[in-house]
This record gives sequence, C-alpha cells and structure tokens, in this order.
Amino acid sequence: MANTAYRADPRLSRFDPLERIVYFDDFDEGYNGWLGLIGNYEGSLDSMLPGYQQLMQPMLSNVTHWDTGSHGAFDGTYCLKTATRPIKGQQNVTIKRITFRQLGRIQFECYFCFKPEANQMALSELDVRSVGVIFDLQHGECGPQRVMPHLRYLNALDGMAQHKWQYKHRRQPFHDIGGSGKTVSHYHLAPEGWEDVPGGAQQLCYNEVPTKINWHYLKVGFDLKTMAYTELRCNDRVFDVSTMLPMAMPAMANLWCMLNVCLLVETDTDKRAFFYVDSALLSGEF
Amino acid sequence: MALNRSHTATLTRNELWEVEAATEPYEAGWAHEAIFFVRALEVRGDMRGASAQVQISPDGIHWVDEGTVCELPQAAGGIGFARVARFGGYLRLRASLPAGATLRVVAALTLKE
Repeated sequence: MANTAYRADPRLSRFDPLERIVYFDDFDEGYNGWLGLIGNYEGSLDSMLPGYQQLMQPMLSNVTHWDTGSHGAFDGTYCLKTATRPIKGQQNVTIKRITFRQLGRIQFECYFCFKPEANQMALSELDVRSVGVIFDLQHGECGPQRVMPHLRYLNALDGMAQHKWQYKHRRQPFHDIGGSGKTVSHYHLAPEGWEDVPGGAQQLCYNEVPTKINWHYLKVGFDLKTMAYTELRCNDRVFDVSTMLPMAMPAMANLWCMLNVCLLVETDTDKRAFFYVDSALLSGEF
Repeated sequence: MALNRSHTATLTRNELWEVEAATEPYEAGWAHEAIFFVRALEVRGDMRGASAQVQISPDGIHWVDEGTVCELPQAAGGIGFARVARFGGYLRLRASLPAGATLRVVAALTLKE
C-alpha cells in the first residue's frame, strides 16, 4: 500500500517521496548538513586541482534585494543559496554526504530557483549559465563502481539562450594528489562532455526582472541496483531518461555505500549566479 | 530543548590578498553574532599598516564599513579576528595591505544565534 501519511504535513505534501524518506531538509531550520564541496588535497592546499579552488560555502538566504527587500523562501524565511564568484564560467557546488543502507531506487526532490546578482537594471535572463544536481555513489556488488550521475539545466552559454537539460557521462582524467599514492582527484565539473537530454528543451519561469523569483519543482530518480536513471522531472515536464548513461569509474578505496547529492551553479557572465533551494527531500525504496 | 544554532563558513581558502581584497558576500541574517577569523598561511613583505574592515550591506551589492577593524596577522600561522553583532543580513571583510605585501589566508566566519 502506498505510504501517503506524509501528505498530512503541508511542507511534505508538495513532494512525491518513495516509500521511505531518508532526509527532508527545510532550510528554515538550518544548513542540515549541506556545505561547500572541497577538492582533494594532501600536504598543501596548492595540491588541489585548479577547478576546485574556486568553490565556496553555501549560505542561508532570505533572498534580499535592493529594490524590494526580502523575497523570502517558498515557505518560511530562509533557503539554501549557492553562489558563484563574479567571473564568467565560475562554478560552485554545495554537497550533502550520507551513505545508503541498501541498493534500490532513490529519488531526490527539491524546490529551486536561480537568478543572477541584481546589480544591473536589466532583465539579465542569460547571465546564469546553469544549475544542476549531481549524485556521487559507490557500490561494491556486481563489479564495484563509483557512479556519478550529472544533470544540469543549461540556461545560457556564451550569451546565447539554451533552455535545456543536459547530462554528462564522459569522464575527466584522474590525477595523483600529493606524494603518498593514496589520494587522486578528477575534475568532473569540467565544462566539456555535456550532452543533451533527449527531448530535454524546457522553458522555466525566469520572470521579468532579476529580483522576482518563482520556485520550481525538480525530481531526479536513480536506481542503485542497476545504476541507471529512473526519472527526471521539472515542473510539468517528464523527460525520457532511458538512454542516458551516468558517469562511471572503478570503485575507490574509501567511498563504500557513498550517497552524496551535489547542487551545481555556473555563471555565464562576470556576475554572481545564485542557485536557491527552499527544501530538499531524498527518499528511497528499502 | 532546542539548542541555538551555530555555523562556521570558510570564506576564503588559500587565496592571496594584496593591496585591496574582499571576501565574497555572505548572508547571515539568521545569526546574532559573528566572528571573522583570518589565519595566515604565508606572509610576504612589510605588513605594517595592514588591516581589514568589517563591512555590512543592505543588499549584498552596496557596502559600508561597520566600524569594526580586524587586525591582520603579521606572520605565517598568526590569526586575526573581529567580533560583530547587530549586522543585519550581509557581511564581508575588506582588507587593505601596504604596497608590496601579500597575505595568503584562510578566512572563516563563525556565526551564532
């Protein structure tokens, strides 16, 4: 019998969780374990791959703008804000790290929006390059693998509107970090290798000035048994994920049962890009 | 009993400060008090006269000195700090260094309800 008890809670009833809720993070209550991704290092911070040097910590935002004041979140006051630096092509990633108990279907849902910093009286609708969700997973059965499904909504690229979902399965090379032989790193956030989700074009509600925000719904499903996508939904659009491959690589020494979720934002101009998440829910079948 | 929330955000990590530098804007409207910490990984040149101003902002775009000054470390391993309260929503640290001096830093912002 379907578990629908969660629908009695107004904060949960706008989600469609699988059988068990692993976490439900409402950022009115705090950071809930979401923090900035950091690249691997050993001996010195200089050993970190260059792409990871730009990454910074998320913040709890009440979405305050110069022209109207505080926009607030979907509910309550605060949301989680991941911001880039004001340099074209810069990225930032916020992560939550847990492990899984059992191989099975998992599903990440969130209410999100994105905007550029409102420092110009211009529409600025092409200033944010993308926002995305990445899983980082590792299992030890049927051929141990580390699997990293990458998804992003490509809003604009080099000033041209794109408005489509993309995924990435091509890997970047691994590099040794430090001298012990224990640490490696790969820059999986590199701009190369993104491919279009089949039929993945979608128009979102950017609104009419950079300080008006509208929350959107996102759902990403993945099966830990088959290491395959099961669903990608944003608002009213459900996309065909049947041919999409996740990024995969040999298992690594210390990542068993890893279940990380990452939030990615990229800016397409010399302006900060902001990825806001009001609340996030991870559920599973186990 | 609900405990008061606290959080430390590392604002800069291994960044090189010279002449004028500022941390990226950080939203902390939920917190009542904050401490900026600046730890020197490397110091080069004459740091006499170097300091940093805590700045506040109504919108994360326009900044004004809050009045609190953070002394900057004079040698590698040194730590400077600045305490602030009633700062509104946005915080950052703006550093001024003498010509020829550089400071490689880890700067953190510790927040409490």
